[in-house]
Amino acid sequence: MTGSCSGNGVTGKCQEIKTEIHMSELYDKVKKNLIWKSIFRRDYKDNVRNRALAIFGNVFLHLHPVKVRESAVKLRFTWGMGGITFLSFIILTITGIVLMFYYHPTTDLAFLDMKDFEYQVPYGVITRNLHRWAAHFMVIVVMIHMFRVFMTGSYKAPRQFNWGIGVILLVLTFLLSFTGYLLPWDQLGFWAITVGTNMGAATPLLGFQGPFSEYLHITPYNDIRFALLGGAQVGGNALLRSYIWHCIAIPLIATILMVVHFWRVRKDGGISRPQNN
Amino acid sequence: MASEHHNSSKTRAYIFAALSIILLALSAWVIWDDEFGLRPWKHYQKEYKSLKHDKLEKEYQAAMQEFRRSGGARRLAMLEQKLAKSEEAFKQKGVHDRYVELNARLDDLHVKLANNQKDLQMTRGQYLETEYYFTKTQKPEYKTKMDALQRQIDGFDRAGKALLEKEGPLKQEIYKITGGMAEVRAEIEAIKKALEDQKEKIANNDKSPIEIKQYMIKDTDKADRCVSCHAGIESSTQVSKKQPFTKHPLGFVYLGHHDPTKFGCTFCHRGQGRATTTIEKAHGNVKHWEEPMLKGDMTQTSCLNCHGDIKNLRGAEKIAGNTELIRKYGCYSCHKIPGYEGMGDVGPELTNVGTKVNYSWAVKWLMDPKKYFSTARMPKFFFSQDQAESIADYLFSMSGTTRHDVDYASATPNEQLVEQGRNLWSQARCNLCHMTNGKGGNHIKVYAPDLSKVGSKANKTWLFNWIKDPNKYFPGTKMPRFRFSDQEINALVEYLVSEYLDDEAEAAYTTPTEIKAASIKKGKDLIQQYGCYGCHKIQGMEMVQVAPSLKTQGVTFLRSDEMREKIGTELSSIGSKPVDLLDFGKLKKTISNDRLSYIKQKLRDPRGFRLGLRMPNFGLSEKEVNELASVLYGFIDSNVPVRFMVPSRQELDRMAGVPSYKFTGDFAKVIADVKCTNCHTIKGIGADYAPDLSLAGSKLQESWIRSFLANPDVIRPLLQQMPKLGLSLSAKPAKITMPKFNLGQQKVEDTNRSDVDVVVNYFQQELVTTEIPKDVPVVAEVGMPEQIGKGKQLYAEKGCVACHQIGSDGGAIGPNLSNVGNRLKPGFIFKHLENPRKFKPDIVEPNYGFSERERIFLTNYLMTLKLTAK
Repeated sequence: MTGSCSGNGVTGKCQEIKTEIHMSELYDKVKKNLIWKSIFRRDYKDNVRNRALAIFGNVFLHLHPVKVRESAVKLRFTWGMGGITFLSFIILTITGIVLMFYYHPTTDLAFLDMKDFEYQVPYGVITRNLHRWAAHFMVIVVMIHMFRVFMTGSYKAPRQFNWGIGVILLVLTFLLSFTGYLLPWDQLGFWAITVGTNMGAATPLLGFQGPFSEYLHITPYNDIRFALLGGAQVGGNALLRSYIWHCIAIPLIATILMVVHFWRVRKDGGISRPQNN
Repeated sequence: MASEHHNSSKTRAYIFAALSIILLALSAWVIWDDEFGLRPWKHYQKEYKSLKHDKLEKEYQAAMQEFRRSGGARRLAMLEQKLAKSEEAFKQKGVHDRYVELNARLDDLHVKLANNQKDLQMTRGQYLETEYYFTKTQKPEYKTKMDALQRQIDGFDRAGKALLEKEGPLKQEIYKITGGMAEVRAEIEAIKKALEDQKEKIANNDKSPIEIKQYMIKDTDKADRCVSCHAGIESSTQVSKKQPFTKHPLGFVYLGHHDPTKFGCTFCHRGQGRATTTIEKAHGNVKHWEEPMLKGDMTQTSCLNCHGDIKNLRGAEKIAGNTELIRKYGCYSCHKIPGYEGMGDVGPELTNVGTKVNYSWAVKWLMDPKKYFSTARMPKFFFSQDQAESIADYLFSMSGTTRHDVDYASATPNEQLVEQGRNLWSQARCNLCHMTNGKGGNHIKVYAPDLSKVGSKANKTWLFNWIKDPNKYFPGTKMPRFRFSDQEINALVEYLVSEYLDDEAEAAYTTPTEIKAASIKKGKDLIQQYGCYGCHKIQGMEMVQVAPSLKTQGVTFLRSDEMREKIGTELSSIGSKPVDLLDFGKLKKTISNDRLSYIKQKLRDPRGFRLGLRMPNFGLSEKEVNELASVLYGFIDSNVPVRFMVPSRQELDRMAGVPSYKFTGDFAKVIADVKCTNCHTIKGIGADYAPDLSLAGSKLQESWIRSFLANPDVIRPLLQQMPKLGLSLSAKPAKITMPKFNLGQQKVEDTNRSDVDVVVNYFQQELVTTEIPKDVPVVAEVGMPEQIGKGKQLYAEKGCVACHQIGSDGGAIGPNLSNVGNRLKPGFIFKHLENPRKFKPDIVEPNYGFSERERIFLTNYLMTLKLTAK
């Protein structure tokens, strides 16, 4: 190949041809081997059916509708808020895992670890701040998402069930935010959790300060606040419980519900879109 | 296709491109910030390294120059030349072969020598064995064998000597061949090494890594990264005077006794030890960090965290002086302060005050004590005329008197008595404690009242009774009982009331007026409200004896609701109280919201924060405010590790169950009367104002004690008034002498013994130590006059004259030695010269390291210094 164009002096063209040949060789090497095929199962022609199959055949993408109507991607209708919420969740998961590498959920060390993110851990400042900003952002965005769904009437049939899931996810988002608040173990978090759990103590039937508590023999040591704090006041147990709810339990439940949520978006006829289109 | 993608006509590529660029720029910024922006210590460490490099380089250059100047370089060049020559010569043909041959012969010789030695030792062993059998059995065959062995030994000896003789010439020849190369090499090595070491120091400095450096203190949860910037803080040499590179001031005291790897920095300095990103954050000068860094003398406040006794603590001089203010103003009277329990009342007893003072004076005093005397310690309570009258009414009614004034201004004094009183006043040295017309008085340690206006305050009868027996009116007062006769007291009183009158005094009640019951009730309420009973003993406000059952529950005080055991806030942890818990009131926006500012403002203007506050105004100067605040700031609610704690002597004694010292017998009565411990320390009790008398019995001669008590004179003219080791001569030292108590003129109560006898006896029985010998060891072989001569010579040689005075010659820092032979016991001088700091650690006298003989000579010389009685 190189020999045929060595004489004409147009080196540029020659190289172009060369790259083309190399590219196609590379393409074959990458795609026509066992590993590629074992992952992507088939080599397909670019047609409607195969495109749908590609979506079906992918564990991540199959949650998504195979086809999206053009009107559904109009930003003006959906505002993209659900997707942005999900993006925030991913950012929070990644930065959260990094933070967990350095953080000890004990009363002695929690605050000092927090200080060390700022003063000592490489990229600690940006990691912790990203986590915090993303958390605030997620709470705001998830509420705007609900607002949009409500205003466009997207909760109506056939999406009633998914609206219900969404409401639970909203509560879970708030709980993530609430439990994460205590983890820096500073005055702000301490009193926020004190006040928050005291509200639990005043809940009818659940808290010892709530109505009917005396009839149900509810005391500060067996009510909902005790369950939340692992004690009668905010202390080491409350910190540990917050940590486990925040880092393991709630994210796990939320992930499962998100999977269901996305699946139902697909099953309930794709993402909602302007009706008269 | 086109219809499917009609949306793409409105391309968003530009927006995405712009956002990508922003994201990229942000990422770059994040990386830059994490590498440099948030790591300022990198910059400081680099700068310190280069400064240290420059310094070491300079030292190296100086050493090099010195090396060249002193001829070291020439010597090195010469040696190297010599070495080269020798090496050249060594390389010549035949020489090396000869060298090898000679070495082989030398080795051979050494082997032969070793073998010979072995044989010799073996034969000697056999000889000893045979000798043993011979002495046991006395058989002649052993004797023969011994002789044979002895011959063999002699032969080996001779052979060894012959071999050794051969070694010398061999070695010499080898040396000649090598030209002494080994020795030359060693010297070159040694010369080069000194310079190489310095070079290595530079290289080590250049190699040291740039990294976060920290002291990690486990049990205080601290990670102090201060050294990341303050790189030279532990250094013993000053690399740069620029911050943050300086070394620690007085490092050998502070860091020497508090290893930073065990104590860290923030334990004493506060601040935010973990912070590394900015100077403000690290020093704790940021919002929500309540412990800003303590700098300079203020840091001494942290000494209070661990040290129980800071009085003679090196490096804690400032704070030790400042704590005196707590005692002076009696803060512990109204506030609970740890370590100040049971300190006694700071103010005089008021039980019978109505028999003592004029009513008009009392009212005027209550309204503003500072206006009456600027040195008054009593604070201003901002009472109105009406309120002050009510309080005075209560106090006077409890004393069983009415509103009454005595006016001596118009009376004509008995001139003769006044003159006698004036003489007594100066003889007894009353001015030592009491100030009059701005002169005299000791307001640092004794706090005796100013007497400039006493004639318009107290009445003659009371003054007479008071001087006659102060303990009778006020048990526990600091005023000593002078041994005056009644006539002398009368003269003194006459002098006081005629000489010291207040020109502005009013005497509205020269005719006594009855007190109204309503006013008494109001006065009582006011006293309870403002807690006058905290400082004064007041009738009707006594501490009530509580039942033992209540005591076990922690109740020690029981009165009406308004009365509390301590009327003020507990101050045990004021230095670490969260700022949120401090009530800034209406000053929230005017002063900075930190703890120290709060404390200072509270001291400056106690009632300024809001209405309804009760703390009185002490009229503190700004200096006093700062000093007092520095002490209060040191009262922290700390979890100090036990290993840091340095309890005071008293605490240790208490923990060990050692009973505290108590004066016994008649001497206790003398002490209670004359109050020696106002100035002297005796066995750990008392003030450090005059010499410690704990070992006076071993130190002082009886006859001298007697004559001194009869007529006290100055012993240490200058040192007396000087701060410990401060040696600053800027302030003019006052001549302070012990007051003349007229001891020896009266018998101690219930006994036949004169009080001087009691004192001398106690000194000799109790205030002695076996460590001080009674007498000097005798040196028999040197005649006494010669010893004295040698002692005199030593006195001159060591320059004792610079500080001590003999006759009119010499310095005035140490005691005058003109009469030392009459004053001190020879055993004490002998022991004292061994180590002057043994019994008084803060003495200025140097330790000359005299030999025992020298000390004997000096002592014998000093004992000859006697003044004959005039």
